[in-house]
Amino acid sequence: MRYMVFVKMREDVGEAPTALRETMDAAMGELFAAGSMIDAGGLGDASKATEIRLSGGAVTVTNGPWTEATEVAGGYAILEARSREEAVEGARRVIEIHKEHWPGWEGSVEVRPISGGAES
Amino acid sequence: MPGAEAAVTAVWRQESARLIAGLTRITRDVGLAEDLAQDALVAALDQWPREGVPANAGAWLMAVSKRRAVDHFRRERTARRGTQALAERLEEADHVDLAGAVDHIEDDVLRLIFLTCHPALPPESRAALTLRLVGGLTTAEIANGFLVREKTMGQRISRAKATLADVHADFEVPRGDEREARLADVMAVIYLIFTEGYAATVGDHWMRPELCLEALRLARLLAALMPDEPEVHGLQSLLEIQASRTRARRGADGEAVLLEAQDRRLWDQLLIRRGLAALDRAEATGKAVGPYVLQAAIAACHARARRAEDTDWVRIAELYDVVAEAYPSAVVEVNRAVAHGRAYGPDAGLSILDAVAEDASLATTPLVASVRGDLLDCRGDHEAAAAEFRKAAAQSRNEAERRLLHRRALEKDPSRL
Repeated sequence: MRYMVFVKMREDVGEAPTALRETMDAAMGELFAAGSMIDAGGLGDASKATEIRLSGGAVTVTNGPWTEATEVAGGYAILEARSREEAVEGARRVIEIHKEHWPGWEGSVEVRPISGGAES
Repeated sequence: MPGAEAAVTAVWRQESARLIAGLTRITRDVGLAEDLAQDALVAALDQWPREGVPANAGAWLMAVSKRRAVDHFRRERTARRGTQALAERLEEADHVDLAGAVDHIEDDVLRLIFLTCHPALPPESRAALTLRLVGGLTTAEIANGFLVREKTMGQRISRAKATLADVHADFEVPRGDEREARLADVMAVIYLIFTEGYAATVGDHWMRPELCLEALRLARLLAALMPDEPEVHGLQSLLEIQASRTRARRGADGEAVLLEAQDRRLWDQLLIRRGLAALDRAEATGKAVGPYVLQAAIAACHARARRAEDTDWVRIAELYDVVAEAYPSAVVEVNRAVAHGRAYGPDAGLSILDAVAEDASLATTPLVASVRGDLLDCRGDHEAAAAEFRKAAAQSRNEAERRLLHRRALEKDPSRL
């Protein structure tokens, strides 16, 4: 089963400390090497995002920045896991690494199964 | 609290190869290493649900295992000779900062793979032991994958461990001349696990996806551990691309769908992209390639074609010519016949097929008849094609494949309904 992992965070947290980046790179490298992570990427500045919305039968296209923006998705990973628990464990590591190397960071990691994946 | 237990087991599985590998280096006994790793799992199952999963779970498990190892050798010290040295090695290993010794652990994992694929073991035992010790699967899961009883699989694994101890198998990645042959063995084991899942030869299931996933993981792991070996990337590439077709290989009723008839929108483009990237990495090594890179290059030709009619058959025919030259076999000739038939017309294919059709190794498989049926069909000779498909169906041992061949026969010759 595949899982999409979203990393959500406040956008105004500033630059990640070097130690965090290095530890995250190592952890991701490990998950890629183990074959459980099959794709990952960081998302660009949410203030530059474009939203196309259907509401009340009308389509509106809005460009950022948005004033109400709080937590945004900053990155994603796709895990090919044997179980939900395995995917959750992979995601939990991300949070543990932030806790250790960037304690001021606030955010969350959300793990969701991808339907219609290769084995469903 | 089964949820918590599953979480602990998931963590343990992720760490188990590294755990067992590190413990095997310290104890020089893979069976003991596995027992110690299991002890750590038992301790984690007791402690983690109450106290939470430790931040560095791998280090926690290793620390517990090593304490058990020390206890074990203290008990044995008086009973066995030579354990003094082991106890010293353990105490020395205690001082090693595990987080700082990642490279070392990666080396150990590679050594473990070479150990579980040791030539002293029969191939099916290599596969089982690799899944157990490197993949972290339970005996029940492996038994299920290979369609044997759990007890049988348990005995197979125990025997394999005993054999490794009997032959004093080295915990080393071989060097020199031996290295190439042993690496070929390792890759063959991973490929065997994949094909066991991908094209179940016996029974009514067309594939067992769990085995494919495990093989793919092993191939990815091996490629990460041996980045300078083109064939290892080739193996990964081949498996990624083959796995990309999983959803397209079965129709709505579970029937098999052949490559050219597959709905390519169902191909997994993420796996294809990964497969093509692995093939690029193989070629970037600049070293001489072997059978896996060649097969991956062929698979890549199919993967790149968004429609079946876009397939670069001339390139595939050329690649099969290279394969046939370097690794001649009857099965390769059959595949070469298919490629030449597509590239240069059915007669070109049939002449290659005729030259190999009487080969004894093909006598019991449906391969020749089904390919001949296909080539005759391309030539417009539908009745003769139907007869070949019926012949192939009679030779098939796989229920899903048999149904497919019967269906093809009926499509070509509906009068036989």
